[in-house]
Amino acid sequence: MSSVSDAGHTRRSVHLERRLHVEPRRAALVRLLGVATALLIAGVFLQVTGRSAFALAGEVIRSTFGQRRGLEETAVIATPILLDAIAVAIALRMRIWNIGAEGQFYIGAWAAAGIGIHFNLPTPLLLLMMAGAGVIGGALWILVPAIARAHWNVNEIITTLLLNFVAVTWVEWFSIDIWRDKQAAVIQATPLVNARLPGLFGSTTLHAGFLLPLALAVVAWFVFRNTRWGFEVDMIGGNPRAAEFAGINVRRRIVTVMLISGAIAGLSGMVHLAGAAGRLQGTISNSYGFSGFIVAALAGGSFVGLVAGGLFIALLLHSGILLQTAGLSIYIVLAIYGLVLVGIAVAGGRSSLAGPPGETLP
Amino acid sequence: MVDRGRHRRCVVRSLPRGERELTGPAPSAPDERVIEARGITKGFDGALALDNVDLDLWRGEVHALLGENGAGKTTLSNVMAGIYRADSGVVLVDGVEHHFRSPAQAIEAGIGMVHQHFRLIQPMTVAENVHLGWDDTPRFISTRTLVDRTERLMSEFGVHVDPNAEIWQLSVGEQQRVEILRTLARGARVLILDEPTAVLTAQQAKELFSVMRSLVAGGRTVVFISHKLNEVLEVSDRITVLRDGRRIITRDAAGATARELARLMTGEDRDFEVKSRGRAGDRPLLQVVGATARSARGLVALHDITLTVHAGEIVGIAGVSGNGQTELAEVVTGLRRTDSGRVLIDGVDLTDASPRRFAQAGVGHIPEDRLGVGLVPSAQVRDNAVLHQYWQPELSGKVSLKRGPISEFATRLVSSARVQTRSIHSPVGHLSGGNQQRLIAGREAMVASRVFIAAHPTRGLDVHSTEDVRRSLLDRRDAGCAVLLISDDLDEVLLISDRVAVMYEGRLVGEFRREDADRQRIGLLMGGHVAPASEEAAP
Repeated sequence: MSSVSDAGHTRRSVHLERRLHVEPRRAALVRLLGVATALLIAGVFLQVTGRSAFALAGEVIRSTFGQRRGLEETAVIATPILLDAIAVAIALRMRIWNIGAEGQFYIGAWAAAGIGIHFNLPTPLLLLMMAGAGVIGGALWILVPAIARAHWNVNEIITTLLLNFVAVTWVEWFSIDIWRDKQAAVIQATPLVNARLPGLFGSTTLHAGFLLPLALAVVAWFVFRNTRWGFEVDMIGGNPRAAEFAGINVRRRIVTVMLISGAIAGLSGMVHLAGAAGRLQGTISNSYGFSGFIVAALAGGSFVGLVAGGLFIALLLHSGILLQTAGLSIYIVLAIYGLVLVGIAVAGGRSSLAGPPGETLP
Repeated sequence: MVDRGRHRRCVVRSLPRGERELTGPAPSAPDERVIEARGITKGFDGALALDNVDLDLWRGEVHALLGENGAGKTTLSNVMAGIYRADSGVVLVDGVEHHFRSPAQAIEAGIGMVHQHFRLIQPMTVAENVHLGWDDTPRFISTRTLVDRTERLMSEFGVHVDPNAEIWQLSVGEQQRVEILRTLARGARVLILDEPTAVLTAQQAKELFSVMRSLVAGGRTVVFISHKLNEVLEVSDRITVLRDGRRIITRDAAGATARELARLMTGEDRDFEVKSRGRAGDRPLLQVVGATARSARGLVALHDITLTVHAGEIVGIAGVSGNGQTELAEVVTGLRRTDSGRVLIDGVDLTDASPRRFAQAGVGHIPEDRLGVGLVPSAQVRDNAVLHQYWQPELSGKVSLKRGPISEFATRLVSSARVQTRSIHSPVGHLSGGNQQRLIAGREAMVASRVFIAAHPTRGLDVHSTEDVRRSLLDRRDAGCAVLLISDDLDEVLLISDRVAVMYEGRLVGEFRREDADRQRIGLLMGGHVAPASEEAAP
């Protein structure tokens, strides 16, 4: 081994190249391999049980990529998943596990619905107020876990997880009782909110909210690459005691990061409400918070990987709906979904364990 | 020196042979070969870690493997213990050729290794850890049988720890004894200890040495991996020096000198000399006035400490680890609050200020726990290089990082501190201990424009790294800094300090100018013996 400095500029730039481009490509490739393996297993299973895997796959590809509507529906599903994934990923940079994105999503949607039902203002203004309510609602929902973690080191995994159940029940209560739409006797939901997000490219399905996670991912990527704040959060994630040694106020950062995480998850609830669902109901989230959590965990802190992963998971969920219409039982669809996630997790785990070869001599 | 005769007697008394025979035959002639390693070669990624190395281990000897970091000591041991497979070469045990595929096969042949990082389960008891994953553990067990069996093993091997204690309650030295006991219980006749003293205090090391002597007196063989010359000379019967993967020499410890061994280890005839002494100026840069503080467990760890370090001098704090030195370093760097007393940096009162304020005031700190406090192991060398000063205007604006200057800073630091790394983007956790410490020392020297605090800065380092780190302290002193050196290595304290203070149970119990420092008297003070004549007592 030799000191890098002797090698001068050429060598340094070579190393920069390798980290920025080759390693993520390798990580992506390994994960793709995991997906392919899982799909292969699923295909063999379907074939053996007397279904045509090829016909089903063809059907999925045709109706997703073959028509604009399929892609738009996928993007609509992807929107809350991506926002929740970003929320979880920001906390993960600090090694904090926000398992409560689902609950924060619900409370964000609830707070936005409260504003959206009861006020009748010009759409832009009302949307802004609803977004504000969603952000504040999500942040408040994680406030107690954040303070408990920062000051008394209470495990945030448990506190954020448990608050999910409270949030869902809370929203159910409001949708079937307090805010219930009295005009529509059948549905257990609130009335439609008075402002909706505009369609994207003139679409009636795809809404402008889809741009939000894409923009936020870029912002997050930039913050963690270029700002002091991002650097400090990363250092706390790597070793909190060293961060304290370096003069970083660790407690304050923990609270801030968790509040931001909750706020983004809350915003995802508002976006889904105002963009897709229209009304608040107990089933407004199709486990988007949990899917987002899975995406963030599998992406391993990379915001580029997160966007790719989120879109892919949305594609899977969308295919699931198609497969069910094609006569495949929901259980088989869920099994395939689970198999693919396991494939990604195993592949991702292996690639991060293996690490760059030969970095150390014993 | 350990009194070898005494320990031999000890062992005879504490070896009830009724329960369980020693695995090997009775002790015999000292030159009976237990292990012969022949032509061991092992490469990693094209670099040869071991190049055609021969090694004979005799029954009943402590055999030291001496070498710098990366010389191949651990690799050779791992080959003998079945963790690595050699690319070529053979290992003979009692004259029979073996090709170990796993540590389990090696231990079956009687070779066991105790690693630097312990493999114990913290919330379980000593007895449970000893019996965990062991074929001899009875199928039906109770706490009682486990404790009884453990006690029998302890008296058989002369290694004693409370069998009912849970691992986390034990000191590092005691945990190490549990590891040794585990390995011996599984029938190890050859016990390989990988840098066992790196984590121990001087006192714990002494205790370990007596355990080692009693084991070899009982006919076992101990391989002692180290790069500390004094320890090797103290405890070994024979010494093998490795350098760059080759065996340089094997010789009797009797008659060897530290200087000769150092030359063999490094391949150079260098002797670290402190050429100039410090010239203490009048300006007190670090003043501690009547400071009292508590440890993490809430016990009073510093009692009314008063201490002044002037510009251009090194004050060494001698003492056995755990007598308040850690807390002292933390109090003067903002990492620990005081109960009472004051801390002044260049006349400015910074008592209980934040770590950032201390860094801004020009206080650099080499912390005792390098990986745990001084570095972020998963982060790149670059990020660690600026960890303590990334907020300075040259390296970042109010919000954004200046990525270019940060990389340049890191590259300069890596070269000036002689950190060996593939790239400034490698994770710091992948560097060797010596290189990690070089990085910290270099980084903190740049923070330390006024005061430099170094806590056990050379613990566990090889000769080269030790010299580099000491050099950085001397350089800072010459640049007019106040340097506070905290170390349990008395040789080090006496070598580079201009004044020496002794710490015992949270108090400064004696202070000497270097010229008048009397090693024996300091040793007594470190052990808590009566204060010396009043003129040397702490002011």
